[in-house]
This record gives sequence, structure tokens and C-alpha cells, in this order.
Amino acid sequence: MLRMTKLSKVYRTHMIETHALRGFEIDVRQGEFVTVTGPSGSGKTSFLNIAGLLEEFTSGEYILDGVNVKGLDDAARSRLRNEKLGFIFQGFNLIPDLNLFDNVDVPLRYRGFNARERKERIEDALAKVGLASRMKHYPAELSGGQQQRVAIARALAGSPKLLLADEPTGNLDTQMARGVMELLEEINAAGTTILMVTHDPELAVRTHRNVHIIDGQVSDLVRHAPSLVDAGAASASASA
Amino acid sequence: MFAYYFKLGLRNLRRNPALTALMVLILAVGVAASVSTLAILHVMSGDPIPGKSERLFVPFVDNGQPQEGATYDEPEDMQLSYQDAMNLLRKHPAERATAMFGTGMPVEPPRKDIPAFQAYGLAPTRDFFAMFEVPFLHGQPWSADDETRGANVVVLNRTVAEKLYGDVNPVGQRLVMKGEPFTVVGVLGDWNPMPRYYKLIGSGPATGEEFMIPLATAVRKELTPYGSVNCSQTRDPGYASLLASECTWVQAWFETRSGADRAELQSFLDNYANEQRKLGRLKRNAPNRLYDVMEWMEQRKVVGNDTRLSAWLAFGFLVLCLVNTVGLLLAKFSARASEVGIRRALGASRREIFQQFLIETGVIGLAGGLLGLLLAFGALALIGMQSRSMAAMARMDWEMLGMTFVISICAALVAGLLPTWRACQVTPAMQLKSQ
Amino acid sequence: MEIRPILSALLRNKTGPLLVAMQVALSLAILANALHIVSERRDVAARPSGLLDEASTFYFSVRNLNQDTPEQMLSTIKRELEVLRAVPGVVSVAQVSQMPMSQSGGTTSVAADYRQQRESGYASTYFTGDSLVKTLGLKLVEGRDFLPQEIPEVNEQTNAEVPKLVIVTKPLADKLWPGAPAVGKTMYFGTGDGATGAQVVGVVERLMSAHAELSDTGISSLIMPARQYGGGGAMYALRSEAGQRDRVMQEAEQALRKSSATPMILRIKTVEDDRKDRYRADTALSWMLVTVSVLLLLITCSGIVGMASLWVNQRRKQIGVRRALGARKLDILRYFILENVMITSAGVLGGVLLGVGLNALLVSRLEMSRLPLPYLVAGAVVFWAIGILSAYGPAWRAAGISPALATRST
Repeated sequence: MLRMTKLSKVYRTHMIETHALRGFEIDVRQGEFVTVTGPSGSGKTSFLNIAGLLEEFTSGEYILDGVNVKGLDDAARSRLRNEKLGFIFQGFNLIPDLNLFDNVDVPLRYRGFNARERKERIEDALAKVGLASRMKHYPAELSGGQQQRVAIARALAGSPKLLLADEPTGNLDTQMARGVMELLEEINAAGTTILMVTHDPELAVRTHRNVHIIDGQVSDLVRHAPSLVDAGAASASASA
Repeated sequence: MFAYYFKLGLRNLRRNPALTALMVLILAVGVAASVSTLAILHVMSGDPIPGKSERLFVPFVDNGQPQEGATYDEPEDMQLSYQDAMNLLRKHPAERATAMFGTGMPVEPPRKDIPAFQAYGLAPTRDFFAMFEVPFLHGQPWSADDETRGANVVVLNRTVAEKLYGDVNPVGQRLVMKGEPFTVVGVLGDWNPMPRYYKLIGSGPATGEEFMIPLATAVRKELTPYGSVNCSQTRDPGYASLLASECTWVQAWFETRSGADRAELQSFLDNYANEQRKLGRLKRNAPNRLYDVMEWMEQRKVVGNDTRLSAWLAFGFLVLCLVNTVGLLLAKFSARASEVGIRRALGASRREIFQQFLIETGVIGLAGGLLGLLLAFGALALIGMQSRSMAAMARMDWEMLGMTFVISICAALVAGLLPTWRACQVTPAMQLKSQ
Repeated sequence: MEIRPILSALLRNKTGPLLVAMQVALSLAILANALHIVSERRDVAARPSGLLDEASTFYFSVRNLNQDTPEQMLSTIKRELEVLRAVPGVVSVAQVSQMPMSQSGGTTSVAADYRQQRESGYASTYFTGDSLVKTLGLKLVEGRDFLPQEIPEVNEQTNAEVPKLVIVTKPLADKLWPGAPAVGKTMYFGTGDGATGAQVVGVVERLMSAHAELSDTGISSLIMPARQYGGGGAMYALRSEAGQRDRVMQEAEQALRKSSATPMILRIKTVEDDRKDRYRADTALSWMLVTVSVLLLLITCSGIVGMASLWVNQRRKQIGVRRALGARKLDILRYFILENVMITSAGVLGGVLLGVGLNALLVSRLEMSRLPLPYLVAGAVVFWAIGILSAYGPAWRAAGISPALATRST
């Protein structure tokens, strides 16, 4: 599904060079639920941004669902992002001036679906997260947990192959967090690959495997429940 | 706290120089436009003789030809015929009265190095000077005797007197006008009522008439009336027939002791008109009118349509600048949400935030006023190029100067109300979070 | 096209868009009316006078200081005319009682029939002792000019003679005798039994009146033959060869002064200056309106750019999120342009309504004329264009916002 080989990301600001990722390698198989952990400043966010085609990388290779990302222009990357990926952010990032229906609608508009198809998908997605009855409400009227679920609905509406989640439970209390995690597990069980960044070790253990990043490199990997992994799933290789 | 907020306001002016400069400029332009048109309106419609303007009246009787139908067209010319003017002057019950017409005479200066020139002047009766409170630099108005005899006496205005005689007092000197020697009996002081309300029909030079001679003298010398002569019937040639005709070319004024005497004057006028109708002279059954100074200026449309248009335009322009300023202030203040949050967290009440931002708006208004004042001077200069009479009116006095700042600061404050109120609504907690 | 969500978002956050729409509406209303007035005044000031070569035409007002008898004044006039004709470069000279657009002159009421209840109209009265038609270069379209023997010498003080012949302008002829030739007809000065008449010998195409009124009177003029004398002075109109006016003016003045034994008061005016003076107020108003219009456009433009920039800035995170969700740069650009078009359209609609309302007010209170539709349409188009162009800069910057902003906290 997602494979990065010898990936590097260097930030150059004024006179300072920061190596966010060095020689990073990861391979995520279809249907996996992988968490990415690491201390602050380890490069988790850079990894997620690159994985999500939100940023370009300095060197290395990145293949997403069979497509080599290198050399794609901004329009192509946006297209790829729109069709194959779904995003869930720590801060929900719903658009406050739009109601739930219109919020979930946003990525679908860029896809070019017609009005009827969009309506179907939105209603399905909101129903899946249990918020179909509040379609016309505005984000400000919902709790944190509900907002995140709308964000998940938005991510799902386009039937993405891969869901990228950045600390999805970071702004939620324990109960809401549990609810969101259960939802994600449901979605994963239904066949969507999920890549989740988190610093909560308790969450990390619930998933198939965990990739730990320190100083821009994968430091160790922990395989949790072999039964959850497809037979023949490769393990992440150790860094060079 | 005011001084503190004022200083903050000044400092914040420099924070976003591009945005601030734009705001101040736009406000200044709107203020300049409003103030310059307001200044002109102020001059044009101000009371030129406060304290007396309700006691001075222009009489009018309609001596036009009869027309078919019950209603008459408004008479184009609101002057009097020579007959009517003389009759009214003879029999009136008011405190003082005068009649006048504008004219011109060639002047042969006493000094040979100044060439002869055509001078423009007025031929009033002697009450004119007392009625309109005309100041004298040298000498005094001609005597009643001079008036009766139609003597060759003249009052010069200051400019002409200086041109002909320099700084010397010319009273008593002889001046050759239209081939005859005239004795100078007085020189006027600076007298520039704006507008020249005493003679609004066929107005003379914008800087004032150059000389004044008795009405009787002008008639005796058969001087052509300058300005407007309106004849509703054909008349015989010659000056005598002009005097006897129904052509209107004389303007008259009455001064009463108080405004309450108006009714008495009106009935005098009505009685006179009825009498003349019986004599067959006045043929129309039209109302006789009295206008006090302000009413007269209104009737003559001193504040013309174009001036009114300019005033409306300026106002609309100011409103536009205001709306623009509101938008820019919203932009400016919304960027300071975090500052507001911190101040509130540190103990500032909503009211104190309101004061701070409103005073900051006032500072912008002050800056706008300063720039606006400069621009207003420029605008007045431009408007003055329209005509010489406009140039005399396009002036800024101290009152208008103060008005500039009042308008500017008030405009800024009004524009600032909404953005300031918005700024106060920022809750302390929300802005301290990193989001 | 995401019109509905944009509209919905705008309605949630009305203040900013409303302020911009208000600015557009106000500017459009004022601009449409202002430009209409400018166009009208320009047209008024550009009205042709009927003279062949205005730039070469000028006149002297002469006043002698000696105490001549009327007969002496008459011979002085004839002498002065000879002197002026002798000046090289002078095409024609005529004694005249008034000049077009000089704001000084006589008007009389005229009628086609003295039995009429009311006069047919008013006309400006030109008296000439020579050929005014030739000097001013007027175009005769019917009939002829006066013959020298038809021009009487008239002592202004004593002579009660009324003119028997007259040349009229075409607009006046059409008004008095529509559809019929005017030559040979009698025109009356006023109505009633005492009204005198004169016979039309010729019609000139156009001669502006002395006061250049805006009404019909402005182009209704009469030329009557009379060498007037005895009033103490005279007025002479001259036309020089093209391009020679200033030199001829100078030489003619010198020649006149030299020809008189006694000093004279001489006033010189060109027709060009008369035109400028007559329309000075209108021209000044036009310039003021143009200046204000330009300022209006600039201010509205800056208002739109300012607000658009502000909104882009406020929504940086949102833009990043949209990009993260798959929006291309073009999609973001289109979003902001569309948003701006909607706001501008609301403003334009309001502006058209406001402009019509403002015009109604101007018509009723300030005696202005109605606003023709093309001005509103043109104004609407201009502001639409401005709205879109102004939004381009901020929209472009919005499109440049990186999608990575979505994950990074502010």
C-alpha cells in the first residue's frame, strides 16, 4: 500500500539545516492498522505530511498504492490525495462556517461527483459515524468527540484506500477517545488501511504493529497481534 | 489611563505602516472632500449681517403684462421699475430705505502715468451706508443735500483709492469721471460680505463695486444701468422714457426697527399696489412680496444646485470612506486578538479594552484630520479656480478648521465602534490556546 | 461550482462581505450619476457657436473720453472701422451690439403672429452695422445677408425706429414656421396689438445667443441691421486669418489707439475666452466629479483587496485543510474568486438600485436630468471587473498556501 525507501527530508531555513527524516524506510500493507510513535521533534509530523503528500521530500523513494510519487506536480498530487487518502487531524479542522453536511461535502466537490452521488456518500458516511440526524448542525454545536467523528466521516466519504490520522484522540477525554478508537478499528476491519500517529502508548498497543521513530529514523518495531496480520505481511525492515 | 492609551495608540500606528497609512489616507480624503464643500456652503449660506438680517427687506410688486389664465409665471426679474422704487422710497413707513442700480463710468486718473479705465460702481441713496453697516476708512457718506441736488460726489472703495492716490487721504480731491469732475467725499474700509447680498441681481464685480455715487446723480447724468434691465413692453428710446417705463432695473431695501414691523410694511406695500392698480399702472393681480435677507438669498438661489450637488457628493464620499475604514479597522483589530486575550487575562475589563481601542481609533482620526486639513486647503484652491466669485468664497475660517478635526475624529470613532466592540468580545481563555 | 456552500458560509459571517458590498453599491451609485453629469456638462460646453473660426475671432469694446456730439461719435465709428479694416491679416470687421457666449446681451420675446396669446419663444438680439454674417463666418442656409443700403444709422438716444428686416437662426425659424421657408415671413417682437414686426431676409444655420442659455433660447438669435451710435462707445467684432489672431489683435489695438487724438478705454476679449468663462463653472464641476470618480474607484478597489487579504489570512488553516483534502491550487483560486464575485454581484445589484434612487432624488431636488440605462450598465460592468481583478492578488496568495498547514498547529 505505502512504501518509503531511503527517504530523507531536510529543512533549510536561513543558515540552519534540519534533518527531519534520514534514510527512513517503511512498508505498510493493505488492511494494516499501523501506529507511528516517537518523542516530540522525532519527525512524526514530517513523516505524516510526506505520507499524505502534503509536503515534498528531499531524497529517496515513495510509492503509494503502486504510484511513484516523485516528479508528480501539485495538481497530480492533489488528485492523488483526494482519491486515495483520507485525513483525520488532532484539531478536527472542521470548517466552522459550514454545517456538517457541507463539511463532509468538501473533498467530494474536488472529486467531481454529481450532486446525487455526493448526497448519497455524505449521508452514508455520517450514518456510519452515527451523526446522520445532525446533518444541518454546525461544528460549534457539537462536542469534541462528535466533531472528530464528523472529521472521520469526511475522511471516509470518498472511499479512500488509506486513512492518515494525526493524534486523533489528542484533544478528547478518555471516554470520547475510546469511542473514536473503536470507530477506527471498525473501519479498519471493513478493509481500510490506517496509519496513525500518536504519542499515547496505550493506543499503540491496540494496533497491528507500531513503528517508533527517533531522530528521523525508525528505531524499533513491535509486532503485536500476529493474528491480525495477513499471512505473509512483511515486517518493517531495520534501518541501515 | 487616557494618556497611556493615547501613547499606545500612537505606537500602534507604526505597527502595520501600510495598513495604517491607507486608513489615514482614505479617512483624510473623505474628510477633505466634506470639509471643503462644507466651507463653501458655510460661506454661501451664512448670515451676512447677523442681528439685522430679519429687519432688512426687499420689496417686490409685479408690474408685468397681464396673461391669460389665473396663474402667472414666476417673474424672471424681481427688480422694480424706477417709478415704483421712487414711489416706495417717498412714502414708506420703515426706519430707513434705499434704492440702487449698478453702473459704470470711465475714470481719468489724476496721475498721468495711470491710463484711463472703465470703473464699475453702484448708485444708491445715502441710507445705503447706514443700512448695510458699510465701514468707512476716510470721510463719510454724502449729505442729504448732495443727494437732493444730485451733486457730483463720489465714495471710492479702498482698492481704487489706493490705486489712484496711494496712501494719502483723498477726501476733498477732484476725480474726473465721465468727463466731469467729482468730489471724493469718502473711502470705504474693507467690506466683503459674502455673498454680496445687497445686490444679488446683476451682481457687480466679485471684489466689490469700485465707486458709489448718489442715485439722483446717476439719473441726472443718464448713466446706463449695468446688470439686468427687463422690459415687458416696448419702450421709446432715450433715458427719460427708461425712467417712465415699466422696465425693471432698480433694487430696493427697507430697514425696520424690529422684525415685528414686517406686517406694517407688508400692508403698506399692499396698499401701494392697490393704489397703482386703480391708476391702471399695475395690471397683474399678483401677490406683493417682502423678503428678509435670508429669504432673499434663498429666493435668488445663492446656494445653487451645483453647490448642493457638491455637498451631497462630498457626504456620500465620506460615507464610502467610513465604510472602508470600518473594514480596515476590523482587519487591524482582528489581528490583535491575542493581545486582547492576554490583556483580559491580566485583568483588563471589557470596558477598558473598549476604551483602549476607541482611543486608538481616535488617534487615527486625529492623524486623518491633520492630513485631511492639508488636502482640504488644496481642494479649496482647486474649487476656487471655478470663478473669481467662487475663489472669494472658497475660504477656510477658524470655525471650519475646528470642524475638520471634529468631522475627522467623529468619523473615525463612528467607524471604529463595530471593530472595537468586536475586539472586546474576545474571551481571555480562547486566545491563550495555541490554536 | 460550489456556490451554495460559499453562500452559506458568507451568510454565517455577514459583516465583512456586507461592508464590501456596501462599498461597491455606494461607489456604483455615485459613479454612474457623476459620469452622467460630467457627460452632460461636457456636451453643453462643447456646443458649437456657429462661428466659422472661433479661435480667430475677437472683439473690441471702445469708449472715447471726449464729449462728442452723437454725429461726431458716428464719424468716429466709421473712421475706426476703416482703421481696423486696414490692419493686415484682418478678414472682416463688423460693428456689433453683443457677442455670443459673452454673458452680456439683450433678449426679446418673439412671435409668429401678434395675435397669439403667448409669445412663441425668446431670442437673443444682435444689432450690426456691417456684415455680422461675414465677420463671424455664419452659414446662410436660406435667403441672403443685408445689403449696405438696408442698414440704417440709428441714434440710440433719439431714434425710435424699429428694425424692419431680420435674419433668424434655423432653430428659431423651425419653431416659428415649422416645415415652411422662413424668408419673406414677418416675425413679431412680442404679442398684442402694439407689437412690431420685421421681415425675414435670411436664415443662418446656427448662432449661439449672448447668454448661451441651456434652453431653446440659447440657439435662437436674431440679427438686425442698425449702425448704432450716440451711446458713448462701440463694439467691433473682428476675424483674423487662421493662426494670426494674437498678432492681429495687437496690431489692431495699436492702430486704434494711434488713430484717436484723445485717450480711449479699450477692452479686448476673444471668443475663445468668452467660451471658457461661460462654461467655467460647468467645467470645474466636471473636473471635480471626475476626480471624485477616480478616487471612488481607487478606494473601493483598496477596500476589496484589503478585505480579501484579511479573509485569506484569517482562513489560512482552513485553506490548508482544503488542500489536504485534495483541493488543487486552481480550486482554491476559483473558490476565492467565486466568493468575491458573489459579494461584488450583491454590491452591484444594490448599487444599481441605489443609483436609480439617487438619481430620482437629484431629479426632484436639484433639477438634474434622468440617468440613462447605459450608464448603470457600464458602471455595473466596471465594478464587476474591479471586483474580480482586486480579488486576484489575495486569491493567488491563498492558492500558494501549503497543505502542510493542516497538520501544523498555528
